[in-house]
Amino acid sequence: MEPLIELKDLEYSYPYATPALSGISLCIRKGEKIALVGSNGAGKSTLLLTLNGTIRPDKGSIIFQGKPVSYDRTSLRKIRQKIGFVFQDPDVQIIAPTVWQDVAFGPVNLDYTDEQVRQSVTDALHNVGMEGFEKRPPYHLSGGEKKRVAIAGILAMDPEVLVLDEPTSMLDPAGSEDIMDLLDELNLQGKTIIISTHDVELAFTWADRIILMEKGEIIGSGTPEEAFSDKEMIRRARLKTPVLLELFYELKSRGLKTSETLPRTVLDIIRIIEHDHHGTIRLPGNGYGTIHVGDVDKMSGTDVSDILARTSHDSIGVMGSRAKIYARKWGFTPDISYAVIDKCILQAMNGRSSIILTTGRMVTRVFERVTIFNQANDRSIPVRSLTLDNTTDGVPPEDNVAVQNRSLLKESC
Amino acid sequence: MIGHDFLEETAHHNALLQVHPFTKLFLGIGSIILVLLTPNYIVPCFLAMTLSIIIIVLAKINLKFYLKLLGIPLSFAMLSALVIIFLSEGVTEIWSVQLFPWLTLAATSESLNQGLHIFSRIFGGMCALFFISLTTPMTDLFGIMKKLKIPELFIDLSMIIYRYIFIFMEKASQIYLAQKMRLGYTRPGEAVRSYSMLFGSIFITSWDAGEDLINAMDGRCYNGKHAKITSYNPVEWRTLSAVMIYLFIITGMILWTSG
Repeated sequence: MEPLIELKDLEYSYPYATPALSGISLCIRKGEKIALVGSNGAGKSTLLLTLNGTIRPDKGSIIFQGKPVSYDRTSLRKIRQKIGFVFQDPDVQIIAPTVWQDVAFGPVNLDYTDEQVRQSVTDALHNVGMEGFEKRPPYHLSGGEKKRVAIAGILAMDPEVLVLDEPTSMLDPAGSEDIMDLLDELNLQGKTIIISTHDVELAFTWADRIILMEKGEIIGSGTPEEAFSDKEMIRRARLKTPVLLELFYELKSRGLKTSETLPRTVLDIIRIIEHDHHGTIRLPGNGYGTIHVGDVDKMSGTDVSDILARTSHDSIGVMGSRAKIYARKWGFTPDISYAVIDKCILQAMNGRSSIILTTGRMVTRVFERVTIFNQANDRSIPVRSLTLDNTTDGVPPEDNVAVQNRSLLKESC
Repeated sequence: MIGHDFLEETAHHNALLQVHPFTKLFLGIGSIILVLLTPNYIVPCFLAMTLSIIIIVLAKINLKFYLKLLGIPLSFAMLSALVIIFLSEGVTEIWSVQLFPWLTLAATSESLNQGLHIFSRIFGGMCALFFISLTTPMTDLFGIMKKLKIPELFIDLSMIIYRYIFIFMEKASQIYLAQKMRLGYTRPGEAVRSYSMLFGSIFITSWDAGEDLINAMDGRCYNGKHAKITSYNPVEWRTLSAVMIYLFIITGMILWTSG
């Protein structure tokens, strides 16, 4: 696959300072989820700012979609439309006095017609789950809401790449989970996403590829498992090993038999313990629990309460920003609101059933994840799709395509 | 902690928010113009009363908050009215007092009339102004400005200023608190020094914010345009005609009382 963005030997230094970037070469493919990880002052933000032409490197070249980036006004506008940049502090990014005006800022400057502006703003706000906030001034919003507005402002320009500088640094844990969930959702819609962070736990579970930076250089890159298992590199980058890996190493040194890959989620580690070591810790008498999946876009509040009453379940998971808004509106309190699929599989392995309420393509995602898990681990956790009249077994038709698409994205460059 | 957004905050939650801002502006500005044309104190008082009733009953603004708000300008108005009553010339003396051998304060019926007139005009005008600011958020006014063909540059600047006032206020109150915690305002000399430092930091902050703003606007393909909301609920003819009838009655009262 052609790389989407290619950086070759970038050098940059701020006036009167040590080089902020030196010898940076990197290539980014379409549909990747990349996390730039490094300590404070490692050059992450500088590198991100070169991507949309805000910082012009002293040496080296940036190639976007096969063409070198040039720095005249027209080309810059073009590249900034395609590569959207979300600042760390949403107060810096939000310019206009109301949410609607701010999200419309990009589209208006791209000379969309009035109708197109309206449509793109509506879509963007819908995408980040901020409908109904149009006329609110930004100082009335919470940190997480401001971040969503900032992201919507970029989405309204329909970029191919989303670049986010420290997307969770100003948010509380629940707010961070929400934003990362949203980024996953956008990635599923085909956007390439690049974030910078020094939160190793977040990068480890979220990213497809980790790029470790230190003193303006890339010191390592690879899958999260590869990047974080090199202890020397982690030390050099002034980071720490994710708790999950730490636990895994400790279990291993105590004689846990492992054949395969390193764990990335709680689900992985449970699977390794159960599968590779003891067989199953406890197989409940009634076998596996069932995972029910419902598309709330196609339901009303009363439908959902009907279904909840009819279907036996131990917990309710809500996935995606729109589903969360519906849940709040209809007065359901979700038991699980982040890492929903993993947690529901964990529940199912423990003999408990769950209902996942979500929207659109993420229904397929649930089926895909559980199917892959079942195949890889020789299990048969049942997934059912919830519909209004009855629940049906099996896999939605688009599923196979989606599985193939995602496996294509896995190769790195 | 933060008191600077009280008026805006209230305006964003008032019960007349959905009424077209043009109607509200028409009522507010119309009242101000009529108040300036009144020859005596009866009409402005009537205007002040009716507008206050509209603010409290229709816009559902908290009565206590409104009275507190009104108290600030009215106390000034009261003082100036007193000065006018005692210092203006007049023929028929009503009451007088000799404070010092060289100073006699006297109120005449003419000066009393004039004082009351000025006081009631301020009263009526303030009510009209508060009607606008309590029912129409600033953000609604930007769209109206555009419709009234006020130059874009002016509107864009006022929008950016409006947006940043709140950021700087927040910053200022943070710095102020940080200074106070380290005993910054304990002595008068210290207070002056702290105050100047506060302004220095705000200046640097605003300089940085300006550079960030340029980056943020460039990052979103800025090309000299700002989006404005111009689609409001349609002007309701019933409400607008009610406003017109009200203003007609006031005009009628002015003509009748002066004629």
